[in-house]
Amino acid sequence: MELSPFPAASILLVSVAALSFSMPAAAYGQAAQTPDPTNAGKAVFSKANCVGCHKWHGHGGGGYGGDALSLRKTELTREQIIETVACGRPGTAMPFFTRGAYDEVKCHDMNRQDAGAQMPPEGGTFLRPKDIEAVADYVIAHIKGAGEPTYAQCVTFLSSGSRVCDIYKTQGEKPDATASTGKSQ
Amino acid sequence: MERFSGHAKIAARARLLAVAVAAGGMLAALPVSAADEVNQERLLNVHKEPGNWLHHHQNYSAHRFSTLKEINRDNVKNLKVAWTMHLGGVEGGGIWSHGGLEGTPIAENGFLYVTDGWGSVYKIDAHGGRGVLVWKMDPKTDRDWAGAVACCGVDNRGVALWGDLVVSHTLDGRLIATNKETGQVKWQRTVADPDKGEVITGAPLIVKDMAITGVAGAEYGIRGWIAATDLKTEKEVWRTYTIPGKGEPGSETWKDDNNAAAAGGGSTWVTGTYDPATDTIIWGIGNPGPDWDNAYRPGDNLYTDSSLALDATTGKIKWHYQHTPNDPYDYDSVAENVLVDIPGPSGPRKLALEADRNGFAYAIDRTTGKFVWGLPFVKKVTWTKGLDPESGKPIEYDPNKSVQTYVASVTPSRTNMETDICPGNMGGKNWPPTAYNPDLKLWYIPVIESCNRIKVEVMTPDKLKPREFWTGGGPSQPFKITGSVTAIDVTTGKIAAKLETPFPNLGGMLATPDLVFTGEPSGEVTAHDAKSLQKLWEFNTGGGVNAPPMTFTVDGKQYVAILVGLGGAWDKWFIDSTPELKKIQPGSMLYVFAL
Repeated sequence: MELSPFPAASILLVSVAALSFSMPAAAYGQAAQTPDPTNAGKAVFSKANCVGCHKWHGHGGGGYGGDALSLRKTELTREQIIETVACGRPGTAMPFFTRGAYDEVKCHDMNRQDAGAQMPPEGGTFLRPKDIEAVADYVIAHIKGAGEPTYAQCVTFLSSGSRVCDIYKTQGEKPDATASTGKSQ
Repeated sequence: MERFSGHAKIAARARLLAVAVAAGGMLAALPVSAADEVNQERLLNVHKEPGNWLHHHQNYSAHRFSTLKEINRDNVKNLKVAWTMHLGGVEGGGIWSHGGLEGTPIAENGFLYVTDGWGSVYKIDAHGGRGVLVWKMDPKTDRDWAGAVACCGVDNRGVALWGDLVVSHTLDGRLIATNKETGQVKWQRTVADPDKGEVITGAPLIVKDMAITGVAGAEYGIRGWIAATDLKTEKEVWRTYTIPGKGEPGSETWKDDNNAAAAGGGSTWVTGTYDPATDTIIWGIGNPGPDWDNAYRPGDNLYTDSSLALDATTGKIKWHYQHTPNDPYDYDSVAENVLVDIPGPSGPRKLALEADRNGFAYAIDRTTGKFVWGLPFVKKVTWTKGLDPESGKPIEYDPNKSVQTYVASVTPSRTNMETDICPGNMGGKNWPPTAYNPDLKLWYIPVIESCNRIKVEVMTPDKLKPREFWTGGGPSQPFKITGSVTAIDVTTGKIAAKLETPFPNLGGMLATPDLVFTGEPSGEVTAHDAKSLQKLWEFNTGGGVNAPPMTFTVDGKQYVAILVGLGGAWDKWFIDSTPELKKIQPGSMLYVFAL
């Protein structure tokens, strides 16, 4: 596994994860006031719809869109992730997110003509270089090498009232599944 | 009407209703608060109130045929927008960047009931030549929870009416009963579980005071079912699994050592039909999972890719007819079965018609489940050379083989890991509904003229994870896809007319005595001659049509209504086959037309 260029972020991840395991809040009061430096990248991960194929957990998977790479198992470096987001992956459905890629900006040393049928699709939004670096940092810090998704990672990503994270709870933490809210007249 | 006894107000309304039904055409002239209790009697006799559209598929037989003819082939060229209404529900959630509209409006006594993709229900007063929102019921669907396991979009195909309630589903698995007057939720119950990959996109079918629910999720390793909820007790009456349990009839068609049946798919996400003469529900069953690795699940995999007949009272299976045994293509048979009676040599033939994802249109004897006729309704079929004229099975089908290969050179398999199939996996027809004109005996199929490329992934039991895709591969779209409307003469089982269109038909059909209506994902709503399919009228909505048209009357005037908002599977998974549609923006709008 590649070493994270942001060891501090890894430490923060531990503390955020610990928080969501209902540790005494007071002990972590300071942590809550120190934002995760990769929060901006997390926002890009949602905004640019990385979740549309790689899912919130980055594990990707087969399906109707074909195979989206598992970012958890990826061996790409930060620089390679940045290039992949900026230029897409020729011959696959991974879009490019840099305005002008393959036109005024050469990508993988190709322009649109060179890419031909291998031309990747255009992302639903364009990202500035700063955003692309941020999302790469987020992937490195929170997803790459992270193993199977956990409940703590899920609630950290989604931080909502959704039940989407419930299946990652361990058996003892499962809520009552018979959630019928019906009331007879 | 005994269920209303002891409830004075409702009993009074029921009497009014009886008067109204007796008065026939007078119905539309009654005050709006009267004659609005929906019961089995009215649902069985929708032809007595032609100005209303009470069933998802218009009648229990899924004809989607209206006898209204104020708008006809002579004047349809004058059809104009009467009013429009912007709806909501375009928000994203889970793996989806936005929702879409696939619903059929329900019309009763001048009020429309429509849904958006997240299951909000809108009651709209259509009196006076305009639309006024009466109420909106927002079920607060858990978007991330449901949207992450909705294979094919943020979709909801509409409501049903029963008693004084509007009955609807949500993507996150609930059946909701809303007071029709106030818009307040009266009760709700959880029917499907997104934790298992189950979601609901179809409209409920109301049969004898029960709401029948189908489920989606065959791409996520579910075991499909059809469930009946008693609307009076709010409790489940029966739930019939579409994949037999161990030792049950049909379980011998799952011959693997993987326990594949437990995650075998067989979803039921398109509303079915009901034959009151035999108290039979007929419902289409979806693909087996994993979709493209059929060697994982040797055997015919009943009751996937089948039309299934159930006893409506008990849910017990009466018969089945399977179209694509051991399916390696994702060729659902989830489509509606259209119930049609045609003259035969020894009395009327009672047929169930189904236009299958596999590209063939089938007529089955709905009293026995036996094949009558079948023919391709798409231009190109490559996976089989045709149907056996006796059994209707693909001619390459070999009952002694546990893994079917059909035309092996094109069929996805563990030895043919990347291959092109026609129709593509979205099918020759997907969920968009057909329509049937009982006078002309013509059946109109909304067609996707398609091929696509399938890549196989060999599956192993350890790859089966809750809420993760279980498909055994995936499609890509190297080919341009177009569409058509194919009209079949049901008396002969032959194609009577075909209209080719530049884009796949993702909306579905409406038939009237001399017209058919449909829409294009590029935005046009169109009207055609019922016999020739020649286009007689067109209006560009400026959005993408992904829902079927319907028609109704209010204040004695005929209207045509259609929801417009491209979403669903197409613009996420299949858009590369129709690059021009990439410019269609997400939207959410109701269009209503009149002369």
